[in-house]
Amino acid sequence: MESERKPTRVALIGNPNCGKTSLFNFITGLQQKVGNFPGVTVDIKSAETKLPDSNKVSWVDFPGLYNLYPTSRDEKMVVQSLLDTKDNYHPDLICYVADVTKLEKHLLLLDQLRDMQIPLILVLNMIDLAQKEHLEINAVLLAQKLRIPVVSVSGRSGEGIEHLFDAIKEQIERVKEPNPIENSEYKFSEAELEIIGQLELVFPSFSAYKRLLMAHHAPWLPFISASDRIHLLSILGENSFKSLPFQVREVTQRYNFFTPLVSSVLKKKRKEGFTFSEKLDGLLTNRILGLIVFLGVMTFLFQSLYIWAEWPMTLIEGGFSSLSNYLSSHLPEGWFNQFLTEGLIAGLAGILVFIPQIALLFFLISILEEIGYMSRAAFLFDRIMQIFGLNGRSMVALISGGACAIPAIMSTRTISSWKERLITILITPFISCSARIPVYTVLIGLVIPSKTVGYIFNLQGLAFLGLYLLGIFAALLSGLLLKWWIKSDEPSFLLLELPDYKLPVWRNVGLTVWEKVKTFTLEAGKIILIISIVLWFLANNGPSLKIEAANKEAKRVSIEKQLSPLEADNLSKAYLLEASYAGILGKTIEPVIRPLGFDWKIGIALLTSFAAREVFVGTMATIYSLGQNDDELTLRERLAVEKNPETGKPRYDLATGISLLLFYVFAMQCMSTLAVVKRETKSWKWPIIQFLGMTIIAYISSFIAYQVLQ
Amino acid sequence: MVKVHSSEKILSCAKVGVKGVVSHFKDEHVACRLISMGLVPGCTIEILHKAPFGGGWYVKSDSLHIAMRSEEACCIVLR
Repeated sequence: MESERKPTRVALIGNPNCGKTSLFNFITGLQQKVGNFPGVTVDIKSAETKLPDSNKVSWVDFPGLYNLYPTSRDEKMVVQSLLDTKDNYHPDLICYVADVTKLEKHLLLLDQLRDMQIPLILVLNMIDLAQKEHLEINAVLLAQKLRIPVVSVSGRSGEGIEHLFDAIKEQIERVKEPNPIENSEYKFSEAELEIIGQLELVFPSFSAYKRLLMAHHAPWLPFISASDRIHLLSILGENSFKSLPFQVREVTQRYNFFTPLVSSVLKKKRKEGFTFSEKLDGLLTNRILGLIVFLGVMTFLFQSLYIWAEWPMTLIEGGFSSLSNYLSSHLPEGWFNQFLTEGLIAGLAGILVFIPQIALLFFLISILEEIGYMSRAAFLFDRIMQIFGLNGRSMVALISGGACAIPAIMSTRTISSWKERLITILITPFISCSARIPVYTVLIGLVIPSKTVGYIFNLQGLAFLGLYLLGIFAALLSGLLLKWWIKSDEPSFLLLELPDYKLPVWRNVGLTVWEKVKTFTLEAGKIILIISIVLWFLANNGPSLKIEAANKEAKRVSIEKQLSPLEADNLSKAYLLEASYAGILGKTIEPVIRPLGFDWKIGIALLTSFAAREVFVGTMATIYSLGQNDDELTLRERLAVEKNPETGKPRYDLATGISLLLFYVFAMQCMSTLAVVKRETKSWKWPIIQFLGMTIIAYISSFIAYQVLQ
Repeated sequence: MVKVHSSEKILSCAKVGVKGVVSHFKDEHVACRLISMGLVPGCTIEILHKAPFGGGWYVKSDSLHIAMRSEEACCIVLR
C-alpha cells in the first residue's frame, strides 16, 4: 500500500533569478506539465517524479517573489497557495532556493517562510559559481542558526542533487509529526501583537505570523468566508490597521536579524573594480550603443524567423500536400476522401506549419533570457513603451509580430504586469505579418503604378512601406487607447533586478522550446483544426440543387467555349465555389461590404482568408478560374481586366484596391492568432474584443478610403 | 514616514557615476519593495547608467543591480 500514498507536494520557492527553474528543469525534465491557477492567467509548472528511495514527489515551480507582500498577480498566487491549506498547490514541504553568491539578499523571504508552519529546506543554489568566486560557506553553522536543513546544489550541473533528495526524504518522514511552530527570531511590534491576539477568534489554527498576513491581505484573498471577512475587516478597522508601515518595519527587522548571521557563515573576497557583467553593461545598456546592439540583435532574430523558418515550413507544407495527394488518389473517391485530404490533413498542416517559427523564436528568446539580456532590453525600452501602455519586453513581441503574431503573442508570458501583457497581446496582430505579404504584392501590383518618384523611390515600394508603417501606427494608437480603457489594480513600476550575465543552460532552452511547441499544438491547435474543418466544409459543400445546377452550367459553358480539360476543371471549381455555402455567405454579406467597394467574390476571399491571410490569393485564383499552380502575376493580370458590370470600369481600380489593402492591414483575419489569444488570456472575452475591434477599425478605414477615392 | 527637507539628496537628482549611502525612502511601497530586493537603508548605492528617451536608472548596490524608473529613484534619499 506504500506506493498508493499520495505524493508529497514539494514547492520550489525563491527570489527571481535564484536559479529555481534550472533546478526544477534538472529534476523533472520532460515530465513537467503546465497548469494554471484557477480563474487567473498565471501559469504554473508541476511534475511528479520518484525519489531514489521510491518516495513519490509532486514538484511545483512557483513564480519567483521577494517577500510575502505581493504586488503582481503571479506573486499573489504564491501567497494565496501558501496561506490556503486547501489550495490545489499548497505545499507539504518548501524547498527554498537561494543564490549562494547573493545570500545576504536572498534570505528575507526564507525568514518569513520560517513562520508559515510549513516544513522547510534551504537549498543553496549555484554552488559551482561560489567555488569559482572563492566563496566559502559554512552550511552546517547556517543550518544550526536557522534550525532548518541546508543543502548545497547546482541547478545547472546537478551537483549535490542527491543531498537534496536525502533531505527531502528525511523531511517526508518528519512531516507525520505535527506542524513545526514559528521558527524565526522576528519580534512582533505591540500593534502587531494586538491584531494577532484579536484575530485568534477568526483563525484559531493559524500561527501568529499567518494571522498577521491574513490581516495584510484581507482585501484580496479569495478563500476567506464572507462572515470571516466581515469580522476580520471590522477588527482591522477598529485598530486603524495600516499595512504598509507594518510591512516596512517587518522587512527591516528581519534584515537586521539575518545580515550579521550571513556574514558569520559566509566568507567572501571583496572584489575591487567592475565585474565582467558591469563592463559588458557599459556597452549593452549604453544609451546609444545599447540601442544599436539591440537593433542588431532584433534584426538577427527577425531575419532568422523570416528566412530560416522558411524551409522547414515549405517542407511541412510540401510533405502534407504530397500526403494529401497520395491519399486522394489511392482512396476511393467521395466525401470521406475529400474530408480527409482537403479538410483534416490541410487543417493539420495549417497547425504544424507554425511550429518552425515558434520553435525558432523561443530558441532565440530563451537564449537571450538565459544569458540575462532580456531584462537589459526591458530596461532600455521601458520609458518609451510605457507611453503606449506597454512594457520594455513588449518590444520583442512587436518585432516578432512582423514575422508572425502567433509566436509573438506567446512570448508575452515574461511580462509580469497583466495589463501590459494584455495590451501587448491585443495590439501585436496590427503589425503586418508575413502572411499579409502575398496579398499586398497582388494588390499593390494591381493598383499602384510602378514608377519612380523623387529620383530613387519606387512608388510600389513606398506603398509597401506605407502599409507596414500604418500597421505600427495602428498598434501604438490602440495601445494608447487600451491603456486608458483597461483598468488594473496592479501598481505600475519597474524595479527589475538585472542578473549577472551567464552562459545559457541548454536544457532550459530545450525545455522552453518543447513546452511552447507542445502547448501551441495541443491547445491552440484544437481550435485551429475545428475552424479549418468548418471553413473547408463551407467552401466545398452547398445546397445540392445549387451544386447540381453549377455543375451543369460549368459543363455547358466548357463545351460552348471548347475549353481544354484543365480549363474546364478550373471553370467548374469556380462555379462550385460560387454555389457553396461560402459562396452563398459571400453573396449574403455583399450589401455590407459594398460600401467598401467589395463584391461577393472578394467577400468569399475575405471569409476563406480566416484560415490564413495568404489564402486570399488562392481563393481569388479559384474564383477567377485560374489553376492552383498559377502564380501571383497571373492572378494580377486576370484581376486587371476584370470589369465592374455596372460601370464598365475596371473592377479593381485605385479605390477598391486601397480599400482592400487597408482592410488587410487592420482586420483580424487569422483564426490561429485568435486561438492563441484565447489560450494566453484563458478566456474568449479578449479574442472576441480583439476581433470586433480590429474588424471595425478595418471597416471604417476601408469605407472612408473607398468613398473618398471613388 | 514622508519627510521633506530642502537639503535632501535625492537619487534621481544625481548624475551617472555618483556614489552615495541610502538614508531612507520617501514612499513606503517603494521602500518595502527595495528593502526586500536587498537595498536597505545604510547600504551604498551607485548610479551606473541611465536609459535613453528620458528612461530609467540602472543602479548598483554591492552585488545587486537594479533597474528602476525615475518615479522610484525619486523616493530614494541619500545621506
